[in-house]
Formats: sequence, C-alpha cells, structure tokens
Amino acid sequence: MVQLRRPFAFLSLALLFGLPAAIAHKRAASENDAARAIHLLNRMTFGPRPGDKERVLSMGLEQWVAKQLHPESIDDRTLEVRLAPLRTLRMSPRELVENFPPQAVIRQVAEAKQGLPRDPEKRAIYQAQLVRYREKQDKKVGALDQNDMTPPVADPGALDQSRLLALAPDARVAQLLKMTPEEQVKFLASLRGPERDQFVEGMTPEQRETVTAMNSPQQVVNDELMAAKILRATYSERQLEEVMTDFWLNHFNVFIGKGADRYEISSYERDVIRPHALGKFEDLLDRTAASPAMLFYLDNWLSVGPNSDFATGIRRNPRGRRHYPGELPAGLESRRRSGLNENYGRELMELHTLGVNGGYTQKDVTEVAKVFSGWTLKQPREGGGFSFEERMHEPGEKIVLGHRIKDGGQKEGYQVLHLLAHHPSTARFIAGKLAMRFVSDTPPPALVERMANTFLKKDGDIGEVLKTMLASPEFWSPEAYHAKVKTPLEFVVSALRATQAEVSDAVVIVRNLQTMGMPLYGAQPPTGYSMKAAVWVSSSALLGRMNFAIRLAAGRIRGVETAPLPPSPGDQGRKAMEALRSLENNLLSGDVSAQTHETISARLDDPAISHRRLDDPVGPPDIALIEGLLLGSPEFQRR
Amino acid sequence: MITRRVFLRNHALTIIGTSVVPAFLRRAAFGATEGGVRGRRLVVIFQRGAADGLNIVVPHGEAAYYAMRPSIHIPRNAVLDLDGFFGLHPALSPLYPMWKDKHLAIVHAAGSPDPTRSHFDAQDFMESGTPGLKATEDGWLNRTIHSLPASNSAFRAVAMGATLPRILSGPQRALAISNLNDFGVGGRSPQATPLENSFEAMYAGSVDAILQGSARETFDAVKILKAANPEQYSPAPAANYPRGRFGESLKQLAQLIKANVGVEVAFADIGGWDHHVNEGGTEGQIANVLREFSQSLAALWIDLGNLAEDTVVITMSEFGRTAKENGNRGTDHGHANAMFVLGGPVRGGKVYGRWPGLDASQLYEGRDLALTTDFRTVVGEAVYRQLGNKDLMRVFPGFDGRPEKFLGLIA
Repeated sequence: MVQLRRPFAFLSLALLFGLPAAIAHKRAASENDAARAIHLLNRMTFGPRPGDKERVLSMGLEQWVAKQLHPESIDDRTLEVRLAPLRTLRMSPRELVENFPPQAVIRQVAEAKQGLPRDPEKRAIYQAQLVRYREKQDKKVGALDQNDMTPPVADPGALDQSRLLALAPDARVAQLLKMTPEEQVKFLASLRGPERDQFVEGMTPEQRETVTAMNSPQQVVNDELMAAKILRATYSERQLEEVMTDFWLNHFNVFIGKGADRYEISSYERDVIRPHALGKFEDLLDRTAASPAMLFYLDNWLSVGPNSDFATGIRRNPRGRRHYPGELPAGLESRRRSGLNENYGRELMELHTLGVNGGYTQKDVTEVAKVFSGWTLKQPREGGGFSFEERMHEPGEKIVLGHRIKDGGQKEGYQVLHLLAHHPSTARFIAGKLAMRFVSDTPPPALVERMANTFLKKDGDIGEVLKTMLASPEFWSPEAYHAKVKTPLEFVVSALRATQAEVSDAVVIVRNLQTMGMPLYGAQPPTGYSMKAAVWVSSSALLGRMNFAIRLAAGRIRGVETAPLPPSPGDQGRKAMEALRSLENNLLSGDVSAQTHETISARLDDPAISHRRLDDPVGPPDIALIEGLLLGSPEFQRR
Repeated sequence: MITRRVFLRNHALTIIGTSVVPAFLRRAAFGATEGGVRGRRLVVIFQRGAADGLNIVVPHGEAAYYAMRPSIHIPRNAVLDLDGFFGLHPALSPLYPMWKDKHLAIVHAAGSPDPTRSHFDAQDFMESGTPGLKATEDGWLNRTIHSLPASNSAFRAVAMGATLPRILSGPQRALAISNLNDFGVGGRSPQATPLENSFEAMYAGSVDAILQGSARETFDAVKILKAANPEQYSPAPAANYPRGRFGESLKQLAQLIKANVGVEVAFADIGGWDHHVNEGGTEGQIANVLREFSQSLAALWIDLGNLAEDTVVITMSEFGRTAKENGNRGTDHGHANAMFVLGGPVRGGKVYGRWPGLDASQLYEGRDLALTTDFRTVVGEAVYRQLGNKDLMRVFPGFDGRPEKFLGLIA
C-alpha cells in the first residue's frame, strides 16, 4: 500500500524506550535512524519542517520525546510573539461579551437596561450594533415605512472612500469614529474585499479589531480563536502539546456555532483542555464536566431533577411564581416546567469515557442525568460561569453502573466521574482512540491492550500511555509507517510547516479548511471529526488539497508567503532537477515514489507546465510549480 | 396516468417560464440515444440529528399528542390536513401541492428497529443498512449499485458534500461533490488543465490503493463535467432554492441531473434537528429548519421538470424524538419517525404504515413512538421498483424484504 516502505530495525528503538537491556545500536544504519525520526515527527507533530529531522537526530529521539512530554520545558517565545496581537485569547468569556457584545447585550442596551461603554472605540462597536439591531427591529415591525423611518444618512460616496483610504492609519480610525453610527455601518458595508484590506492596513491590532467588530463583534472572537489554532499548530515548538490539545478538543467536542459557546471556546481550550492535555484523564473529565462550554453545548445547564425543590416548588405555587427568592439561572425563570435533560449523561458515557459498547444502559443514562442535574450556568449568554444549584438537583440515591451513589449534591457528580475515569472500558476506549490517532486506523489489539493497562495502572496518566505506545514495536512497525492519511487540518498545517510559510493572516487558512469539509471548532455532532482515512479521501477533498497545494506554492493564498528556495549553481536543466531533488527532501523527507518523481521531471520539460516560453528553453524552472505538485502528491497526503 | 400528471404540471410551468422547454426537448433527444431506457433515479435525503416526526407529520387526531406536548404542539387549526387524522407542519406548505397532486407519500412510525438512542450509532446503522451490526463496512446505497446494469458514468452515485458519507462508501465508485463550480484543479477551463494531467498521472501510478482509486474516479468525473458543462442549466424560474447548504446541494444536484451525466443514486443531508431545548411549534427552531427543508425539496421538484417523472426522493432521519416534551420545551432522543417519499412514480396522497398510537401503553419503552415499518421496507421498494435492483438480499443482508411486503408506494 505504501510506497518505499522502509523496514526499520524496529526493536532497537523499542529498547531505547524502556524495554529491558537497552543495547545501544551504534552501528544501526543511519538511514534507519533518519526514517525513525521522520516517523516520530509525522506522528507527534503537525509535520516535519526542513531541518527538524536533523534536530531530532542530534538531540536523540528519546530526549526529544521527553522534552515534548514536558512542554513547559520548551521555549516557545516566537509563538507568543505571533499570538500577542490576538488579545481576545487572553480574555475571560465575560470580558469577551463585554468587549465584543452579542445580540443579547445589545438588546439590553437598546432597552436601556444597560448603558453604553465610555471608551470611544468600545462605544463605537456598541453603537454600530445598535444601529443594526434597530434596523432589524424596524423590519420586524413592518417593511412599509422603512424608507421614511430611517434617518437621512449621508451617501457613502459622499464620505469619500478614496480620501479616507489615503489618510494615515490613526487618522482613518479617528475619521471613522467621528461618523454617526449610521454612517459607520454604511461606510463599512461599502468597503469591498481589497478596499477593506487597504482600510485596515497599518492599523494596530486593537484598531483592526474595532473595525471588524463594528461589522460583527462576534467575528473578532471567532477569527482570533481560529487564527490562533493555525498559528499554534504551525509554529509552536511544543508540538506534542498542540497535537494532544487538538485530540482532546475533538474528543470532548464542543460546537462553536451553538449560542453561548461562541464566547466560551477560547477559555475552554485555554483553561480546560490545554493545561491537562498531557496530564491525568480524570482532570480533563472533571474540568470538561464543569465547563460552561460543555454544559451549554450538551444542554446540561438546563437539566432539572423532576423531584428537585425547583421543580416541585413551582408546582406547589398556584400563581406560578418561584418558590424561592433569589436569582436563578437566566433562561430558567420563564420556564413553566422543568425536567431532566439526558444529553450530557448519554454522551459522557458513549463518547467521553466508556464508549458505545462500554456496558451501560438507558437506565444508567437517566441516573447519570439525575446526578448532574443542578450543574448549571449563571447567565451563559453573558459569559457567566459554572454554578451548582442545589434547588435544581434531583434528591435521593442514584445507581450508576451498579454502584450506589449516595445523596450528596455536587459530590455525586465527581464520584461518577471518578468511577468512569477508572473504568476498564474507558481505559480501552481512550487507548484505542489514541492508537488510532498515532498508529493506524485499525490499531493492533495487543497495542491497545498494553496502553489500556498503563492507563489503569498509572491513574489515567496520558503521558505514560503515550510512552507505552512509543515503547511498543507496533508503533515502529513497517505497517505503521505512513499508515495515516492526513485530515484536512493536518494536511494544511503540514504543508505550511514543510514550506516554512510565513502566515500573516491565518483567517484565510481557516476558510480553506472550511471548503475542505473541516471547519475549525465546527463539528456539529458531539462525536467530533473522524480520524479515519475513508472519511477524508473523497473527490472533493482531494481536489481541494491539490488546489491548496498549487496556490500555496505559487504564493496565491493571501496572507501567506512561502520561503523562496536558494538558487543553485549550474545550467538550467540541472537546476530544475536539483530543485526537484532538494524539494523532495524538504517536503517529503526524500520519501518520494518513482511515479511522482518521474511525472514531475517529465512535466518540467512541458512548456505549458513550466511556464517557460518555447523560444526560451533555458529559462529558470518554475520552482513554485514543482513545490505545488509535490504538496499535492499522494505521498504528502500521508503521515 | 403519472406521465400525464407530470406533463400537466410542467405544462402549467411552461406558461410561467419557457426554460423548461429546452429540458423537455433535450430529454426527447437523449431518450433516443439511450435506446428508450428511462434514466431512473433515487435521491436519498438524510435529516441528521433526529428530526421530530411527531411535529412534522402531526397526528392531530390524537388527544395524547396534545396532552404530552403542552408547549410545543402544532395546534389542530394550524396543520395542513392530510387525511383528517394526520397533518403537515405549516412550514411544509411548499410540499403541500405535491401531496395534493399525489406525488408525495408519507410513511409514519417508520425507521430503524435498533433500540439505540445514540445519534452516531443510529446514523451508522441507517447508512450501513444493517441495524445492530457494526461490522458492516459498506453503505446500502453503495451496495444498491452493485447489482444494477453496468454503467460507465462517474456520476452514477453522487453525494453532495465535501466528504463521502457512510451510506455511499464501499467498493462501488461514488463521488463526493461540495461545489460543482470548483470541481477541478488550476481554475476553470473547458479542457483538462496541465495541472490536472500531472496530478492524474501521479495518482494513477501510485501503489497507494485508497488514494489511487479515489483520484481515478475524481479525474474521470472532472473530464465528464467539463464536457457536460452543468452550469448552463440554471434553475427553472419557479424553482426558488433557499439560501444555505441544503438548498445549494439540491440546486447543484438538479444541474447534474439535467446535464444528463448519468446520475442514478444521489445523496444529500441536512442537519439542525436535534432540538433538546426550545424546539418551538408552528414557529421557532423546528419551523425554521422545516422551511429550509421543504423549500429546497419543492425547488428541486419544480426544477427537474419532466425529469421528476423518473425521480424518487426518500427522506429519513436516524430516530424520532420522545413523544413527551422534556423540561426544556424540547424533546429527547426517541424511536420511530416519519419518512417522505416523493416523485413521479410515487403513489402519493396517502399516509402509509400502521399507526401504533400514542397512549402510554402503546409507546415504545413507555416514552417514544413505536416502530411499525422498517425503513428497509420503504427504501427496498424504491431500490426494487424504481432502480430495478431485484437483489434485495444483497442490499439488505439478513432482512426479509420480499416484494410481498412492499407498501405499494411506487407504481
């Protein structure tokens, strides 16, 4: 199946990773070492960059893995510099809502329940949204008088786009802020693609944010989150941490398109997932269970025990008023009845822990839902955090998987999570999924079993499970080499890394992933995205990859520049061949099939391909084209 | 009979706009080259997320329905009545003319018999066509093609979307198309681009079976598409596809069918049905998604013109939802559901299937609509009668789907 399979002297590395009597195979063929380094990089990172293989070899594979398992030991300042302008990444959900108000907040302001912020830029964002909000309201009231009702607005042409675009960045912002909110909305709507880019050119990140936010505040939050994902995957030196953060985000999937989650995922990734990506599974489970992102996504925040005080209190009160004074989670006050919501209870067992055949019943689902009733949110639409509401919690004992859970309020939940985190089904399910990510679509059962045992023995320590995997011959077997087809995210990022691309606008890359069927944070079902080849190798997906490869290499993706190849000496014909060889090394680690090599070298002579003019046979070879063909080749689709 | 009905309907359209005329003429022309064999098609639509069949085809004659759904029912006076007992959700009004013309049939209390309430498993079972059996590797729509007369068309089996769904995966070739307009490499051109030739050569010689196979199908399709140029078939004037992915999918599917590239089975899906919270009734979340759903299907129907005569569309969803509303004015995962069967040869205007009732004793596991028709009986009839594939044992292994059991949905 895989071309140029390089049989490793596998055992030697397995020995290095802790199997008994490590004999240093100094004589091991250097080619094998190189192949091992490439394999390791393909699996534990988002793809090797030119020079990575040499770095791993000089450091030693074991040492490299040890460092990656302790990301805090790796200097990542260059990445931090790239992320610094994206300030929403450092905000709490509440700050995000306040700075980039969703419709709910704008409605509050429109109904005078909340004032406008003082800061002029923030104020401008709010005012622009107020204009939009009122326009929408007017449309609802009736489209009849729409033309007469709206106040006279200066024609956007009269605002003189070109004059404004000619100003210095600061002056542009100042002019924009001077306009009436109606004028701002019209003006920004009148800017088309390139003019828009020109308008924000040279502005500080904050100024850019303001301009985007005047159009759509929410978009700033989402754009920065997604851009950060691309930048981290591409540039972080803590690659394993990024790979594992991506893995757990997909495992504990939350969909960005669902209401309040638009403002919660930044914090979810930063505070819940990343800090535990290489830690203990139970910590991940506890933190996701109590995270606003998950509570909202799987509706648990609305779940109310049928015999809870909240539910019965309402029924007892003839006037339909709340039995209890005090604040209840927003959105619940208006509800007449209350009940259990099983959504989280089911997915917790099916997708987060035991797996679908992990040995639970519908009865267990209902019992777990009772256990987690009362795990709710205060004002989720305004970035309010977790709260446990005793009044919503189902009282009494519960039986989960045959275990008696004593009536104990919030404690019950942690008891169940502990039970699930240490269940043998969970160990197998998580081990199997990790092996599917790192080894093959159908990992050998013996490997999964070994990893599951470590999971149980080492208290769900994810780093330890990975170490067991790396010490297993199955990881290093010829069958595993290049066995994984890259997902669109892995493909795109590995291409950026292989070409040492300079990404100045990652949002463009984000849009490309959308058309390849893998929008970031965009998996709607709680299963997340598949890791299997069959899902990602379709006609549309393949064409999408080839087009991306060609456009990336040709520098036709806005906001992305690939590093130019140093010119090589000699005549043009030789140069072309040398360029091909050198690119094969850089992009495919030299692992190129005869077919791919020959197709490209044959095409180098084709004027239609090489862009060479017929009367100029010694013109320079089209390096970008060679690069694009290699990135679109079958070899580059695997890792 | 049916031909006449379709003809009449299209005749009415020709008065509105003349663009159906070329389609009509074209069909006659191609009919000759195909030796008079009708190009029969089956289109499968998946409503992902478990659509609430009880609020879609409403049993308004059931007191229990109203008792169990105090805040999210569809009032009796709001439904589009079907037969005095069932009624359509008002947002399905674009489909009502098809019901009246007897081109739309409904099967209620249908679905997959497996008891799972997991979206993932239930979709998997409905697409593999073997409920309860996880080891099945291919999808039933892929197996359907196996026993059909050979065809060289790369477009014989098409899924609208960036990835190939489970239902169409398997040994028979099938295409995933997310957008007809950028189906190629290196920009649009009437001939193959040099880049396409290069990639084609590279992948054709690859020993990587999965990539090689997929690339071969892809480049065949690219060539056919360039020759057929489906963009010339813009929607018929009265076909108003709504904005959004589903409408766009069906619009492009209609272009493919009209371009006569040999589509026999097609698949599209629409998400947004998992209404655990604030489902809504005549308005709200379910009404919004139903509007998108029905407008898209109606537009496809109108757009296909005479070609609708040879087309059958079947809709399905992994399971239904709880008969009772939950504490959040939504519904949880349930069991049986309603399926739509739409098309020229469909014996429409009737709700098929035995209605199990909604009294507490009649509910499945005390909470959901019970299942009385296996979805394989419904799609099996279409596979057998519409596509002419008589080897149902192969399409649905282990399922007794003899023709005697058909509901009589398709003439």
